[in-house]
Amino acid sequence: MSNSVNTRSQPGLSTTQRVAVSTGAVALVLGVWQLSGTLKWIDPLLLPPPTEIFQTTVDILADGYRQVSLWQHIWVSVLRATVAFAAAIATGIPLGLAMGLSQPVSAVLEPFVQFLRPLPKIALIPLTVVWFGIDEGSKFFLIYISCFLSVVVSAAAAAVGVSKNRIRAAQTLGANRYQVFTRVVLPNALPEIFTGVRLSIGIGWTSLIAAEMVAANSGLGWMVINAGTYLRTDVVMLGILLLGGIGYLFDLALVLLQRTFVPWAGRDA
Amino acid sequence: MTLHTLFKKLAAVAALTLSVANINIAHAEDVPQEVRFAWAGGPRVWILGKIDKSFDKSFGAPVRWIPFATGADVLSLFAAKEIDIARFGSSPAVAGIARKLPIEIISVPEVIATSERLIGRKSKNINSIKDLEGKTVAYPPNSTAQYALELAIKVNRLDKSKIRLVPLKPADQVAAWKRGDIDAAYVWGPFTQQFEADGGHEIFVTKQLQKDGFLIYNNFVVRKEFAEKYPQLVVKFLRTYQEKVDQYKKDPDGSAQLIAKHLDIPFETARSVLTGLEYPSNTEQLTPAYLGNGATTPTSGIAKAAKDTANFLVEIGDLRKSDVPESFAPAINTTYLKQAVSK
Repeated sequence: MSNSVNTRSQPGLSTTQRVAVSTGAVALVLGVWQLSGTLKWIDPLLLPPPTEIFQTTVDILADGYRQVSLWQHIWVSVLRATVAFAAAIATGIPLGLAMGLSQPVSAVLEPFVQFLRPLPKIALIPLTVVWFGIDEGSKFFLIYISCFLSVVVSAAAAAVGVSKNRIRAAQTLGANRYQVFTRVVLPNALPEIFTGVRLSIGIGWTSLIAAEMVAANSGLGWMVINAGTYLRTDVVMLGILLLGGIGYLFDLALVLLQRTFVPWAGRDA
Repeated sequence: MTLHTLFKKLAAVAALTLSVANINIAHAEDVPQEVRFAWAGGPRVWILGKIDKSFDKSFGAPVRWIPFATGADVLSLFAAKEIDIARFGSSPAVAGIARKLPIEIISVPEVIATSERLIGRKSKNINSIKDLEGKTVAYPPNSTAQYALELAIKVNRLDKSKIRLVPLKPADQVAAWKRGDIDAAYVWGPFTQQFEADGGHEIFVTKQLQKDGFLIYNNFVVRKEFAEKYPQLVVKFLRTYQEKVDQYKKDPDGSAQLIAKHLDIPFETARSVLTGLEYPSNTEQLTPAYLGNGATTPTSGIAKAAKDTANFLVEIGDLRKSDVPESFAPAINTTYLKQAVSK
């Protein structure tokens, strides 16, 4: 089983072969990218080659970007995102489960959730300053809201998706409501909730850029935007690589958590 | 219709399109199909030429006015070859030249005097720039106002670490001001007037930096490739702009009225922005105080100001030291100005 995409191991490629092919593909892209700069196919201003980005990384590691060290930028962004993710998960899952299990709760909340979820969160930027001011509140809100709503929807869907037959079977065996919830609903819904959380965190990480467009002085999203305004495309590319890499690590961490806490995921009988 | 006839028709259409394209290419040798100006949407003198279409008339080609929000957008538009001529601030232009964007400064139509100002909150006892320490100050990122604010902090020897600087777009500044999150803001009209109407007063203007030798200006910048292909058009552009400045100077209020009406903004706002700028004429710009005449350009005021700006951007970490050219004179092209003044 691979990490990012749930492809079952198919006959044809062994794990070693798979890794080799993936490594080869990445190396090929990097090679062509470097050549495009070295041979001047593309103006390095438009697409800085990997060597320039490497040089920029060395410079920024030494001097920081805008008087803030690179680690500080990474730390600020990861902290903002983690706090918002944690809050979104802690509030989103219970609310989603409640919506999935109770018709009245669902009827009350459904219209709001369904209206807000597909709303582009960037549209909320002008309001965040008015509502939450220029401190961390506005950044937290933007990441939280985009993550929270998809957690709610996926938790609700997971709860609804639990087989009615299993619930009935448990009830026949004399389980009370609490037992049905902890022994049947939760174990069956958790794998799907985890998948939902993974997707939501992807969305939340995306909105980091939007969050750091508002009155920020540090953070990876801010770094990318600010560097863009001075055509520092090398810094922009570095920021993009870091954002992508950290997003990948977040996902990896969740996959590990999923394996630890929901080892039965994907082994439904 | 059979397939055969369809192909015939398609071939005929293709041939026709090709011949039309050929005519256009032949025609494009002297006049482009359109000239693309990048404009910020604010009240400026060249809007007079937008109203009466005098640029279109002098070029013999239509002008397309492409709006932008900040100088950063202009750099991206130039990089994508989507614009030909832009009027924007000195600091983003310097950043673009340092990043080797193929652009040239052809004129300095506006020197920022009082159109950009620092407004402080009266209730917080901010009465001079010295009172900023311990306060929160907003500025529009990558703008001439940011540059002016950072310089003002430096020349007045304020402790920057004691000031909380917040990058905020002008409209967001208004929201933050209303909430009481910021104590001061360095920005342009009409926002300065909004703050003044809401408990603020002026504590610094960009013109004050001139006595310390810092000139902050807006420049006309062309895409090099475009200017080399249509040099006469660039000359006509500068002549026409000068006519608009003369028209404005003859009747400032009437011009402000026209511009305000065209942009659908209050007359007072248009007037205060327009009077807050200084307009060196094409002839004055050829003196060493501004662009110089080519020979004097390396030691001219603008070449020096551009270098100062670049060094400053390096200091605050927005540009790499290795990107800054030895001199900005090669990026200043005065040949068009010289032709524009010789009748």
